[in-house]
Amino acid sequence: MKGHVFFIAIAMIMLTGCFDRIELEQQSYVIAVGIDKTEEEGQYNYTYQIANPAVGSAAVQSGPNEPPAEIVTVKGSDILGATNTANSFVSKKITLDHTKIIVISEELARSKDFLGIIQSGSRTPQIRRGVELVVSKESASDFINNNQPIMEQRPHKYYQFMLSRAKQTGIIPNATLHRFFQITEGDADLFLGIYATTMQSDQKDNGEQDQYIAGEIPQRGGSPTQFMGSAVFKEGQMIDTLTGEETRFSHILDKTMDMKDFLATMPDPVKPDFRITYDYSQKQSPQIDFTYHKNKPSTIKVEIPFQIEVIAIPSLVDYSQNRKGRQKLRKAIIQRFEEKTSAFIEQSQTQYRSDPFYWSLYARPHFKNIKAYEKADWHKKIYPNAEVSVTYKMDKLEFGKMINDSKINEVRD
Amino acid sequence: MRRSRMLKKESPNVSRHLNENVRTMKEQFSYGLNKDFSMRSLTIAFNQKQGRMFYYSSTVNGEQMNLHIIKPLLENEGKDITDIVSVNNIQALTDFETIKEYINSGKAVLFVDHDSQAYGMDIASFEHRNIFKAENENVIKGPQDAFTESLNANISLIRKQLHQSQLINEGIQVGERSKNEVNILYNKDLVNPDILENVRQRIKDINVDTVRNIELLEQYLEERPYSLIPTILYTEKPDKATSYLEDGFIILLMDTSAAALIVPVNFWCFFHTPEDRYLRFLYGNFSRAIRLLCFFLSSLISAIYVAVSNFHSEMIPPDLLLAITASRERVPFPLIFEVIIMEVAFELIREAGVRIPNPLGPTIGIVGALILGQAAVEANIISPIIVIIAAVSGLSSFALSEININFTIRISRFIFIFAAGFFGMLSLVGAFLLFVMYTASIKSFGVPYFSPMSPHFLSPNDTIFRKVIRREWLRPNYLKPKDLVKKRHR
Repeated sequence: MKGHVFFIAIAMIMLTGCFDRIELEQQSYVIAVGIDKTEEEGQYNYTYQIANPAVGSAAVQSGPNEPPAEIVTVKGSDILGATNTANSFVSKKITLDHTKIIVISEELARSKDFLGIIQSGSRTPQIRRGVELVVSKESASDFINNNQPIMEQRPHKYYQFMLSRAKQTGIIPNATLHRFFQITEGDADLFLGIYATTMQSDQKDNGEQDQYIAGEIPQRGGSPTQFMGSAVFKEGQMIDTLTGEETRFSHILDKTMDMKDFLATMPDPVKPDFRITYDYSQKQSPQIDFTYHKNKPSTIKVEIPFQIEVIAIPSLVDYSQNRKGRQKLRKAIIQRFEEKTSAFIEQSQTQYRSDPFYWSLYARPHFKNIKAYEKADWHKKIYPNAEVSVTYKMDKLEFGKMINDSKINEVRD
Repeated sequence: MRRSRMLKKESPNVSRHLNENVRTMKEQFSYGLNKDFSMRSLTIAFNQKQGRMFYYSSTVNGEQMNLHIIKPLLENEGKDITDIVSVNNIQALTDFETIKEYINSGKAVLFVDHDSQAYGMDIASFEHRNIFKAENENVIKGPQDAFTESLNANISLIRKQLHQSQLINEGIQVGERSKNEVNILYNKDLVNPDILENVRQRIKDINVDTVRNIELLEQYLEERPYSLIPTILYTEKPDKATSYLEDGFIILLMDTSAAALIVPVNFWCFFHTPEDRYLRFLYGNFSRAIRLLCFFLSSLISAIYVAVSNFHSEMIPPDLLLAITASRERVPFPLIFEVIIMEVAFELIREAGVRIPNPLGPTIGIVGALILGQAAVEANIISPIIVIIAAVSGLSSFALSEININFTIRISRFIFIFAAGFFGMLSLVGAFLLFVMYTASIKSFGVPYFSPMSPHFLSPNDTIFRKVIRREWLRPNYLKPKDLVKKRHR
């Protein structure tokens, strides 16, 4: 009797166990998912970029002509459901565990249906919270197909390096799925998605660095894919794009986003024909003071401590060795930043009527409960009418390794 | 009453007639058939009486016998046998049962005509190895000598380190047919009398024909013979044994084993080596940290690999994931089977390595490298990462050199692998939890297995890490020693 019970117990464990066991080689790992609109209502084209494990592995010699990834597109109504359809021509189980990015065509992102489709991404545990949302100018399937990196051929490596470096320089936002739902469901603020394209169109050659969105950067050679700027989402729907520079300002003003430092240029305050290149870095997060007034505009005071290291002064104006010069440069930099930031904030207040800086976080403590906060209405009342003042505080102005420039008169005699 | 009569019948007393005694002796020891049982006749010089001496020629020291017994008896004058014979231990015996024991334990017995007692003389000399270096418990820094198969030599090795009159060496006979002696060593002023009595009683309760050596004694003493967890510590190093004596533990020795048993023990005893204390504070603790890592690696790494790759592939970084996937594409077996193949292969090498005759030793290395290496990978039997996993788990098991805990880990490793194969991390964590819970429930001679950590006891806290040696001023209180506090160095 005792033996029987034992046997049954073992059999139960054996039979119920292993039910979700799956060998590694029986799965296909999707690195990027693309979603496009179709003519039919409720049907979308899903594009899966599946990594080829044999490429780049030292242990196994792959055929020389094997591509680093297989790209398939199927029609379906949601991300997971479409994977089963795709299995009619993909040999292994399609797994979304290692998905790095979800690419959405701009057309779809601007439509009302977008929120409904991306919703299924939050339902399945397969798609991580950290998956990045990329909005492509062209259709997502074109974007994934045209994206042929030259050096990092394996797609997961390419996206990993590409996105993390672009984020460090601040030209693209931190656009995880988690953040998307957080902001959308918070019903305040704007979500910034990464804007990218493989189509190079109407290149801008206006000299100002980083005032581009993807596709506008003049480029020769290299991979055709450009990640630049961001797609602005309001209430789960894309409404506009921001340039790389504007994305940077959102980085600067948003405590929840992380940016290392970036290089930028500005007109030389003494000789405006030349430009000065500097390295902007921010060691501390900005100070944001929000004061809520019920019947008059609320005030938001932002103080941003930052540091500048001047890298190039092609005009050879001596800013470093005299106090006046330094003062002038300091003023010019601060003024430029303040002007640009104020303009950007004003644009967001009038045009978007909401902010991409996640500032509603600082308004929330002023309300007793969620109802009161929702009634005050960030989108419609608080933010668009708020009085925002931005001050930049320069902690440090450095002039690099060599302080003196070459004396042009002495060199050329 | 009846029993005593029977005893008497079995062991008659020594008679005054020499011939009768000789006949009894010859009968008892199958004289003539038993080739090394010897009888020496002699006429004792001082009283001109006939004497007969019985002994096993293989177990006595012939030279000593000639010089200290036979020669004095033949030549010297004196009053009494005890005055004439110059061996260091001579005992008057009256019953044959004791005489039998004496001869069996290698002594010589002399019968004298018209004397109602016999004389047992200790000239026993059993052959044994010299004292060599410890072969299985290696240390770099510290004493190198090891126990050998001689009780006297072993006790001398311990007394050499501990010059104390409180160090008691008690003997208890075990075995019904062959009476062997178990020696219990302890420090009289420290040892907990309850534990000591418990040990004594357990040895006395052993009711078997023979207990040949300490390795068998260990199995007779332990409480749970089917358990995976050892409860008695086995060591071949006298310095290790002595360090336990100093803390109030009890040491068991036998004449036939080159090792000692230490009781009672806890989990940490199996995890420590004497070198941890010989090395300086940081060095010793570093080596303990490595060993703790090895403990987890050895018992869990294969199981974790199975759990993660079969159930939680999202946990593996994509680069590694793709590399494993690529190499697994050509392997015909499920991953868990692959792991088991390699673990079994490693155990094969290990078992064969222990048994292989010395001249063939190098073969093991060559064959082992084939199985555990590139050849197996190229034959598409296993994927390369398994080689690393098996190697790490095998190598780490060597760091836990204590043979009992070594087996515990090696066997539990397979349990964990199977557990991981059922429900992945969930069942692996469950199995490990059960393992820890079971281990915590074990007691060795009344001492909880994870003490002094859990339950907590006052102690030098010598568990995973140890303190600086001059701050260890307590003895482990889980033993309830008579004297808890050591002399403090300030």
